[in-house]
Amino acid sequence: MRKAFADTLCQLAAADERIIFLTGDMGYLTFDAYRQRFSKRYLNVGVAEAALVDVAAGLALEGYRPICYSIASFLTGRAWEQIKCVNAMRLPIVFAGVGGGYTYANAGPTHHSAEDLGLMCLLPGMTVTAPGCPEEVNALLPQLLALQGPSYMRLGRYGEPNYPAETPVTLGKIRRVATAIEPMVHILCAGALATVAVQAIRLLPAERIRATILQAHTLKPFDASILDSEARRILVVQEHLPQGGLYDTVCRWRNGAFGEDIVVERVGPADAVVSGTYQPITPMDIVNGCRRVMRLCQHRGGYKRG
Amino acid sequence: MPDYADLEARARRIRANVVRMAHRGKEGHLQGALSCVDILTALYGGWLRGKPGDPERDRLYFSKGHACAALYATWAEFGLIDPALLETYAQPGSPLTSHPDKGLMLLLEMSAGSLGHGLGYAAGAAYGLRLRGSEARCVALLSDGECNEGSVWEAAMFAAAQGLGNLTCIVDANGMQSVATHRAVNGKTSLARKFEACGWVTQEVNGHDFSSLHFGLSSRRRGHGVPFAIIAHTTPGKGVSFMEQSPDALWHYRVPSDEDLAAALKELAA
Repeated sequence: MRKAFADTLCQLAAADERIIFLTGDMGYLTFDAYRQRFSKRYLNVGVAEAALVDVAAGLALEGYRPICYSIASFLTGRAWEQIKCVNAMRLPIVFAGVGGGYTYANAGPTHHSAEDLGLMCLLPGMTVTAPGCPEEVNALLPQLLALQGPSYMRLGRYGEPNYPAETPVTLGKIRRVATAIEPMVHILCAGALATVAVQAIRLLPAERIRATILQAHTLKPFDASILDSEARRILVVQEHLPQGGLYDTVCRWRNGAFGEDIVVERVGPADAVVSGTYQPITPMDIVNGCRRVMRLCQHRGGYKRG
Repeated sequence: MPDYADLEARARRIRANVVRMAHRGKEGHLQGALSCVDILTALYGGWLRGKPGDPERDRLYFSKGHACAALYATWAEFGLIDPALLETYAQPGSPLTSHPDKGLMLLLEMSAGSLGHGLGYAAGAAYGLRLRGSEARCVALLSDGECNEGSVWEAAMFAAAQGLGNLTCIVDANGMQSVATHRAVNGKTSLARKFEACGWVTQEVNGHDFSSLHFGLSSRRRGHGVPFAIIAHTTPGKGVSFMEQSPDALWHYRVPSDEDLAAALKELAA
């Protein structure tokens, strides 16, 4: 995703002189091509996330379209108040947090970013995205730059694969990755775990579970129309704490008034500080999550077609 | 050469309005508002070029947001807003909120209130203006208490690294913070030397003396490609004796009573 981000940035900057890239002393080698081509529109503000955002704000007030890049944990956590002020002024700045979730699992808790999406979703009117593959980064970045207000993009690592999907990447819309016939579970993903869900779907026939995969690359504003029309048994898959991210958003769907027929389960890290080893989410975790959903349905009087 | 007597008369009227606004709006912050009146008067009385809305105007980033009564009163004095609007200060529905909100008042370059933002904003704008070949200058007005914020120094280092000669930072060094003196919080820290250590050219001035302010603002020491900081030494509550003489931060918060207002206006001969 980082390479897709850097490549897309170069394409967009060539066409739009208002685009200016600011980094908090991050992205070694990643942005060399951009820096060589657009040296005056490359700013390293330093290990200084607060100034990174404030300087971008000054540029946005002058009509530029700044993109701020740093590690997700530092950008969204350390500079949250600066971003809050930017949001209050509706300044069109794209914040790109690299290493969302537990991308930097082995770097220790300071680098873990299992709350970045929640922090950004807290801000009223903020646009919050978590693309899952290079194609989604490529498609979302120009759409974020076209907004009249601020936005956040959680980026993962290098080398995530693209996956085939049924619908294009439209900001604010859930992307349909794979539709099952008479699905028993809707697997709703955000970020790079969509790839793991695509792997999991191959394991599900053995479990006699039919699942549809949806990618919620845009957490805010959240489009619940697919959930409204077809989803009753939902498994949220996301590398984020239960609170504040996609699971939280789905729990507030229908104002939380779910009734008996709706089940919402999750696969993701517990509400706990991870110290030491982090176990990444596997396809088998998602299969087990689907099983939990089905078990909950049975407890409630059996599986009904929805 | 500015007409200092004219500026002094204007500053007196601004101060009187600031005290009236605090009294009517029941909103304090008088120590820091009155301390920066002469700085604002010097800026609007000749230094800031261009009209509001002009892309080539010089820009003021009023970072010490709590003191904005002084900014609003200065605008009224220089004909930028209707003086009648001052009567609405800090009232529900007024665009003159007690911390400035750009969403309500387009004359502002930025919203403020939370401290430590203005120098970064001004530095970003200064970079952007230079990039598009503009001659406009950016000035950020900070309080000395605000310089506790690390983001000020992050922005200061960035501005020096980028050689922002079109950027000026003025610190209203009134020596008083929200609940304690600057000295009690910061020891013997020299703000001028801190800016110099970051690679800025600095000038210390008397922030209540228009010739000293003029000397600072028009300094020939201002280098090309080097940002410039003016440490303006001021008195909290300047112009009203019983506020000036307050040994602590009382008048950071206190709203003037009817008697306080009458006494202050008498001193300000307004």
